[in-house]
Amino acid sequence: MGKKHVLTVPGLYDEIKTICQFVMQGAEAAGMDETALFHIELACDEACTNVIEHAYGGEGGGDVKVSWQVKGNVFIITVMDNGRRFEPDQIPAPPPADNVDKIKIGGLGIHFMRKLMDEVSFSFNPQTGNELIMKKKIKTEAS
Amino acid sequence: MSIEQQQVGKLHLIRVNGRLDHNQTPQLEAHLTRLLDAGHHFLVTDLTQTDYINSGGLRCLVSAWRKARQREGDLVLCGLNNRLQEIFNMVGFDKVFQIYPDPEAAQQAIINRG
Repeated sequence: MGKKHVLTVPGLYDEIKTICQFVMQGAEAAGMDETALFHIELACDEACTNVIEHAYGGEGGGDVKVSWQVKGNVFIITVMDNGRRFEPDQIPAPPPADNVDKIKIGGLGIHFMRKLMDEVSFSFNPQTGNELIMKKKIKTEAS
Repeated sequence: MSIEQQQVGKLHLIRVNGRLDHNQTPQLEAHLTRLLDAGHHFLVTDLTQTDYINSGGLRCLVSAWRKARQREGDLVLCGLNNRLQEIFNMVGFDKVFQIYPDPEAAQQAIINRG
């Protein structure tokens, strides 16, 4: 298993770009192609936005700890916070967009994470807080 | 991010240059709200120079689209690159918005509707 790279930043919207760049640099070094880098950026963006909005209830509620690691041909991203328990199952999936009057625009972030990554799991520990793990298989430009 | 605007008859063309992320979407939101509140309900949002959008950016566009429709107008999109198109498809918003390849096609479609 490769080394775990860790970054901790304050839970501020301005820091999301820093987190995304940190993870994308790792993904690029791991050999991810351009499309995968875009997917990872968006998934991290949505994950951190959820931490600030839902776990901390706004900016300045605490830190966001992010790590990345390569295990075999899988890129693993972990996002941790000390905020309120995040229960993704209580956030409904976006409804089908065939009825335009009923379009709701909540829950898109989790929907994106699940679509863009190969595996997404949430857990909560009262001592350590929320932990989100996202995994994506490494498909290089050559493969 | 920068926003450029051009009026062609009753419609307004809004060019978004840059990223529609958490820091920059509020600028577009304020711009679209200003136009809608001023009675301009036919809007073309040109995303040719937009290389990133997140859920907040989508929320901004849907919200403006909804307001325009409520006022008998419309908000259509054009110039989505493959990545943006993928994001719209992922949540079914390609079926919500009228999406055209370029500003000319979008303008013509609105003009043809009368």
